[in-house]
Amino acid sequence: MPTKYRRMTTGLICALLLLPILAGLVGTLLPAFHYFPPLGENKFSFAAWQNLFSNTEFFASLKLTLITGILASIIALWLALALLAWGYEKAFFRPIENLLAPILAIPHAAIAIGLVFLLSPSGWLVRLFSPWLTGFERPPNWISVQDPYGLSLIFALVIKEMPYLLFVMLASMKSIQARDSLQACQSLGYGRFTAWRKVLIPQLYPLIRLPLFIVISFSLTVVDLALIIGPNTPSTLAVTLFRWFNDPDLAMRFNASAGAISLMLVIVFVLAGWELSHRFLAKLTRAERSNGKRRGLSDHLLSLGAMLACFSLLIGLLALVILPIWSLTKRWRFPDVFPATWTLDNLERATPLLMELTNNTLLIALVSTLLASVISLIMLEIKRVSHGSSQYTSNRPSHVFDWLIYVPILLPQIGFLFGLHVLLIHLNLNGDLIAVMMLHFLYVLPYVYLTLKNPYLAYHQAYLEQANRLKPCVWRNYLTVKLAMLKPALFTAFAIGFSVSVAQYLPTLIAGEGRYSTLTTEAVTRAASGDRKQVGSMALLQTLFPIFVFWLALVVPPRWTKWRLAFKSLFIRTTRA
Amino acid sequence: MLSVNQFSLTLGQQTLIQGLSFQIQPGEVLSIMGPSGIGKSSLLHFLSGTLNRSLNASGQVYLDKQALQDRPTNKRKVGLLQQMPLLFPHMSIIENLLFAIPEHMPSKTRQQKALQALEKLSIPDKANALPSELSGGQQARVALLRTLLAEPDYLLLDEPFSKLDPALRRDVRAFVLEQIRQSNIPALLVTHDPEDAKAMQGPCLDLDPLK
Repeated sequence: MPTKYRRMTTGLICALLLLPILAGLVGTLLPAFHYFPPLGENKFSFAAWQNLFSNTEFFASLKLTLITGILASIIALWLALALLAWGYEKAFFRPIENLLAPILAIPHAAIAIGLVFLLSPSGWLVRLFSPWLTGFERPPNWISVQDPYGLSLIFALVIKEMPYLLFVMLASMKSIQARDSLQACQSLGYGRFTAWRKVLIPQLYPLIRLPLFIVISFSLTVVDLALIIGPNTPSTLAVTLFRWFNDPDLAMRFNASAGAISLMLVIVFVLAGWELSHRFLAKLTRAERSNGKRRGLSDHLLSLGAMLACFSLLIGLLALVILPIWSLTKRWRFPDVFPATWTLDNLERATPLLMELTNNTLLIALVSTLLASVISLIMLEIKRVSHGSSQYTSNRPSHVFDWLIYVPILLPQIGFLFGLHVLLIHLNLNGDLIAVMMLHFLYVLPYVYLTLKNPYLAYHQAYLEQANRLKPCVWRNYLTVKLAMLKPALFTAFAIGFSVSVAQYLPTLIAGEGRYSTLTTEAVTRAASGDRKQVGSMALLQTLFPIFVFWLALVVPPRWTKWRLAFKSLFIRTTRA
Repeated sequence: MLSVNQFSLTLGQQTLIQGLSFQIQPGEVLSIMGPSGIGKSSLLHFLSGTLNRSLNASGQVYLDKQALQDRPTNKRKVGLLQQMPLLFPHMSIIENLLFAIPEHMPSKTRQQKALQALEKLSIPDKANALPSELSGGQQARVALLRTLLAEPDYLLLDEPFSKLDPALRRDVRAFVLEQIRQSNIPALLVTHDPEDAKAMQGPCLDLDPLK
């Protein structure tokens, strides 16, 4: 891409990313200190903080958040490591690796809804074992989802985060030369799990630190997942704040803002604590690594983890299977394993609504992802030009974009979206489709950029240079040679961006002010309604679109040229005849 | 005629080439030999206008009295053939050839030129094949013809034979020389294989490391 004005474009993109976030942060910070002119408050005070710290719900929510967020991150990391240690380089593991990307594409709200359908007292799991094993003729009196301890929330978070961590780890395996190390260890007589524990995991950890921080930050601040499957009394801090922000009593906004600021501080503390405990643990196990023992008791932690990981993958799969079943159900009495009568009526009845939701969802996802793809390409081209084109990933210097891009996904949405809403009102953009798309763009861009980065920078620039020598049309060559050759990476990045957009809940809700509902916002809102047939249909559609786009990204690029040539020859032959 | 006057190349404090001058007649291939790292490829990049900014080059390049050294690459009409054939993998052979043929010609002429090139390669049946379906020698020949179809004013060859297996090399060398003579343009070959230089039947310059 012939980019002139490199500095100006860099500055513009930085502003595009940072300004909304900064505006949002300021919009949260000021009300936290009781400065909020729209409500006639323009004197700074600590009243919001005093209220917050005397509020027992705040502390109960905070405790729950810490427990669920940290436990879920630890378990997800444990299971992902265990599964990788167990399956890496084994034949049966290939299909799981190939399935990871589409699994990641499934919106987490859909998984959570499926889990509720599966695990609730009247859910599929109990039905499968009733009454022949359990003796239940009616749903038991358990609290198996939305339990006060947040166990079901932890479970849902683990099911969502484990595949992501596994995906990130697999991508890093080459750079630590895992296969060679593993063979060296095994020839020294080390067991597979011991080799992983002593040699590979210590090398792997630094490479996945940042993705892990994203997981921790997400687990501590997620709203939609916690609304569906998390506890109510009290709810996690993010959900409590969400409720306060939406409280008809506008004075609650001050408490909510102070709470949002404290949630962000909590994340900083948790991440710092996590890093400290990692260092401590590394020191503690350092001597043990070189004690020469070929096996160890803690190997069993890995084998147990691998079993649990398979189990949770299976549950996740069942949670997806149940969605289409509910959307086609007419009558399904407890404890039947399958519906007694099936019907298309649910879908038919919901069609007008579903059409509208689908339209909104697709329009927002397509526009924001297309925009994100174009901006990502500009960013990557600037990065490539400013550092010269080195073919090797390792010695590429980092660019300001490389850390900037993490800002939107590391910051909790609840922390600045409500502050940003104030800005949108000022700009008269509240409830506007443009605002929704721009907020989606803010979350889609990092994922598109990160997916595209390595293939784009690894592109063999000599092809484009040769094209420019053969034909002096720089822009056209960039499109027809470079981008055309990067088709597989572009398609994948688009699919990932698309699925990120489809899954957004809070940004759609806040920028759209409820005027633009998507499949996700509607499914989350209605999840508690108990109308499983309708919620099932929405969650099903919400899952189908990203999977379909992923399937296209997998199938189309390798066949594109063949199809294009076949089409062309067909066309030429018919015109000649 | 391509002439280079007083070409010097420095990398930091180190002088790699000092005061190199030569002239190449149309249809003639000048071979430049020398050990690797001496700046042969940098000379080619200097001539094609794609020299890395970390290198410092001075000197004049003239093509029939026109100064070239200040023109950007896409205004130079330069052809470059490298070790890799760099055929675009997502285009068929004929599309690769058509890509190079200037657009100002009527489309019938362009089509004819591409078909003629295929005849020359004796692979008219491979028009709609993809580059990956061709052998290495065939790819090298297609790459040469593609470069020449763009009608360059001069041609640069950067060890284009080194990736081919020895049995093929002789045929491809002869083919390259024949095509260059037919196009009647000056050509510069950079190589470390004396056989390449001999086969081009032109003058040969040896670059020695500077003391």
